[in-house]
Amino acid sequence: MEVKLVNLTKIFSKKEGDVCAVDHINITIPNGKLVGLLGPSGCGKSTTLYMIAGLHRPSDGQIFFGETEVSKYPPEKRGIGLVFQNYALYPHLTVKENIMFPLENKKMPKKEALEKAQKYAALVGIENLMDRKPGQLSGGQQQRVAIARALVKEPEVLLLDEPLSNLDARLRLQTREEIKRIQKNTGVTTIFVTHDQEEAMSISDEIVVMNFGVVHQIGKPQDVYNEPIDMFVAKFLGTPPINILPAKVVNSKIKLFDDEFKEDVKIDFVEGQELNIGIRPEFVQIDENGKYEIHVEMVEYIGRDKSILFHFKGQESTCKAIVPSNLMVEPDSDIKINFNRFFLFDKEGKRLV
Amino acid sequence: MAKVNEDLYFASDEQAKRYEAIRKIKLFFIYFALSIAALFTLVPFYWMLATSFKTLEEVQHVPATFFPVQPTIDNYMNVFNGSNSILIRYIGNTILVGVLTTILTVVTTILAAFAFSRLEFKGKDLIFSLLLATMMVPGEMMIMTNFTTVAQLNWLDSYQALIVPFGASVFYIFFLRQNFKQIPDELYYAAKVDGNSDFKYLFKVMIPIARPAIITVTILSMIGSWNAYIWPRTVSQGREMKLVTDGLMTLFQSDTGGETSHIMMAATTVVSLPLLIAFVCFKKYIMRGVARSGIKG
Amino acid sequence: MQDKEINFDCKVDFDGNLVTSKETKTSKKTPKKINDKKKKQNNKTAMLEWKKDGWKAVISLAPALLILLVFTFYPIVRTFIISFFPHYNYLDDSFGAFGVDSFTRVLSDPLFWRAMANTAIMVLVSVPLSIIIALLITVLLNSIKRLQGFFQVIFFLPYVTNGIAFGLVFATIFSPMDYGLINTLIHFFGGKSIAWTGTAETIPYWAGIFVITIYSIWNGLAFKILVFLSGLQGIDKQYYQAAQIDSTPKWRVFTKITVPLLSPMILYITITSLIGAFKSYSSIVALFGESMGNSQDRTFITAVGYIYRYFNDVTSGGSVTMLSRASAAALILFVFIMIITFVQMWANSKKVHY
Repeated sequence: MEVKLVNLTKIFSKKEGDVCAVDHINITIPNGKLVGLLGPSGCGKSTTLYMIAGLHRPSDGQIFFGETEVSKYPPEKRGIGLVFQNYALYPHLTVKENIMFPLENKKMPKKEALEKAQKYAALVGIENLMDRKPGQLSGGQQQRVAIARALVKEPEVLLLDEPLSNLDARLRLQTREEIKRIQKNTGVTTIFVTHDQEEAMSISDEIVVMNFGVVHQIGKPQDVYNEPIDMFVAKFLGTPPINILPAKVVNSKIKLFDDEFKEDVKIDFVEGQELNIGIRPEFVQIDENGKYEIHVEMVEYIGRDKSILFHFKGQESTCKAIVPSNLMVEPDSDIKINFNRFFLFDKEGKRLV
Repeated sequence: MAKVNEDLYFASDEQAKRYEAIRKIKLFFIYFALSIAALFTLVPFYWMLATSFKTLEEVQHVPATFFPVQPTIDNYMNVFNGSNSILIRYIGNTILVGVLTTILTVVTTILAAFAFSRLEFKGKDLIFSLLLATMMVPGEMMIMTNFTTVAQLNWLDSYQALIVPFGASVFYIFFLRQNFKQIPDELYYAAKVDGNSDFKYLFKVMIPIARPAIITVTILSMIGSWNAYIWPRTVSQGREMKLVTDGLMTLFQSDTGGETSHIMMAATTVVSLPLLIAFVCFKKYIMRGVARSGIKG
Repeated sequence: MQDKEINFDCKVDFDGNLVTSKETKTSKKTPKKINDKKKKQNNKTAMLEWKKDGWKAVISLAPALLILLVFTFYPIVRTFIISFFPHYNYLDDSFGAFGVDSFTRVLSDPLFWRAMANTAIMVLVSVPLSIIIALLITVLLNSIKRLQGFFQVIFFLPYVTNGIAFGLVFATIFSPMDYGLINTLIHFFGGKSIAWTGTAETIPYWAGIFVITIYSIWNGLAFKILVFLSGLQGIDKQYYQAAQIDSTPKWRVFTKITVPLLSPMILYITITSLIGAFKSYSSIVALFGESMGNSQDRTFITAVGYIYRYFNDVTSGGSVTMLSRASAAALILFVFIMIITFVQMWANSKKVHY
């Protein structure tokens, strides 16, 4: 089922005044895809998810499931499955009873309900834990039970609220593959919310980057990473984060610090315009004949790569670069570098092509 | 978070209207039912006050009047100055005994809870389980021997007899120990690293952190003293040393018939006021404290 | 400092992942001598530890233990013993012969069975009734926003009243005279006065039980509502959201989610109310006088009332040998309360994984 959000808006009335948590967002989520809503905390992603679920009422705008507008449907009429951040498994019921709970609400015959519950328990790999109580399960297992409970109704849309945030680092990697696999197996349109860019990038078919209630960019993770639409997206994606260098147009040329920015830029600038140049750490290339002189402060080995902390000659602020670890770089040395790519943003952060 | 009614859904306007109407009717019935229950709760308070301002004729008037026709404060004068003025002494006794019992209880409870939660010593588990086992034993099993003990100590008709036996409580020790146990060990290690002694740690860290629980103990102990009946009645047989509850009973028990019920109600009002005033002042603490003891106990 | 080290050791121990110093010691096959020596050293530090904490423990436990020893442990043991010496005389402290007479006398005493019957009626009527009413009020109270705090305070008021004082108030409201509040209401609807309270022989049994029930409900609601309400408010809202998404009908939400999640509180309240019913005394004394009904029948006597009936005999200079019988009755009461407590423990243990 395709999910379409049109001008969706949520305003919370508070004592201090109205807060616009989600501001006229438009997103189309294709049928059968796994889409991640990504952004820092407070960006409105969870509110958006809760509006899709029907737990928050939109202040304005519409939500379409396929052709049907569901904006005014109560949550139980929307045919969705929702996995809560802390799973909300009923502590007094066994795993089996938890999974069967939604089916019993529909008055499904016991036998059929049990078969379904077993089918989905097997799908998420908890078929041997059916008689335990949630308190006896690990975080990862609880997560799977929650997913099974959401899927057992065979919903049109599956919603996951920060599905991995309550798991430890090792389980997180494992579970995210698992979510991807379950989603592929069932083909259910899935929307999940996360603040972890790596998590979103690794499993989503598409990501939606949000901040302050506004959608910045929608696209395939690699596309968004390679061609960020603005500085926020560029900064939010990628570890270590992108280096942002302030620049200025002087005499129709871009000046990076005091030097000239020695790259081809085929854009017309206004004299005196302030710019930001974004250099991802992997865009830095060490080159004996490089155009820029830098001073290496620190070198860290991070497995296959080396991370270099450096600053441009005569500058204070430090930057990071990632280079193959077989390159010889000494800490506290001066070397030359080139950029094999760069992003150009205007003062407001908009990408200039 | 959003208000509840901000997040409701309706397929159509009619549905919304119907829902709103049903909601209002429901809400009306909820408030109605709660008001009835509240009325049920308040009637005794009202009747106590109303009767306390009535004259003897009015009290005995058939049918009973709901409002005092000729309000009088004579009944209160009787309690403060007249033949029943000994009640004021009883209130004083009760406050004195309550405060001293509470202080003693809080001190013994804190120290014992500290020992059971923080110190390591031989027989700790044994002593603690023995204590817990006594929680099951009803007070009636102890009162008889305690009476003989107090008599042998020559404590009958004395304040000690009213205070000391209630100066330690297993329930409070258990309750406070549970609270102390929740204080993370790291704080203890940190205090140790900084060179603080165990007792300094108790006073500087544990007591401030467990303050709400200690307040709970204080409140429960005060209320307990105020309501104590059987024990004070047993050990204070003379006229001077009674506490309020027993005092009320001896002054008025022979009479539920009504010849003195107006004075009796003035007396119960006077007796009830201190606790009610304390409740109004420390509403939040008392309610939280009692809830806490109920949930953890 | 020593303290700290030892405690840290333990921590590592419990974590399990790391190999503790203890384990390395035993796994390495060091010569026995060294092992023993180390053990000794360990013991020594442990002893020092114990001694160090020991005097602190003595200081901190002494006040509480002294009081409890004299006024809790000793009387329990002594009452237990006295109950098996039917001719115990408290004046000269002479025990007489051992025997179970006191128990057989209590168990064959019609007054004892009257007390048991009264207690049973309270257990069967006022306990379930007050719990259901409290649960109902709590659910209603939890469903409103406005005035919630106000109602909560009102419902709590009876908790801070003196049991005897308000027993007397209820005795006035339910006065057997024509001018009592309830009798006035009965007249208004054309009925005749009922002897609700007091020591008269004419009190109908049902009327007395009715007043006791009303008073115990009034008196007990406060605590029950408070505990239930904090229990309800402690339930995670997400359970209800999850239930809504799964289109759970309202009654199913109540029976399948609210009640089970509230069950520890319900159990706790049930147990305390049961014990309360067994121990009710002063409220009934306030309503029906010291004799708990007319002085012959003691119609509304309770379990505790039965104990004090004989105990008062002793303290007021009556029969000095009745102490054994009172002790036997107290021991029987203790057995009942113990059974209830074990039922609670058993029920609690069934809820461990929750």
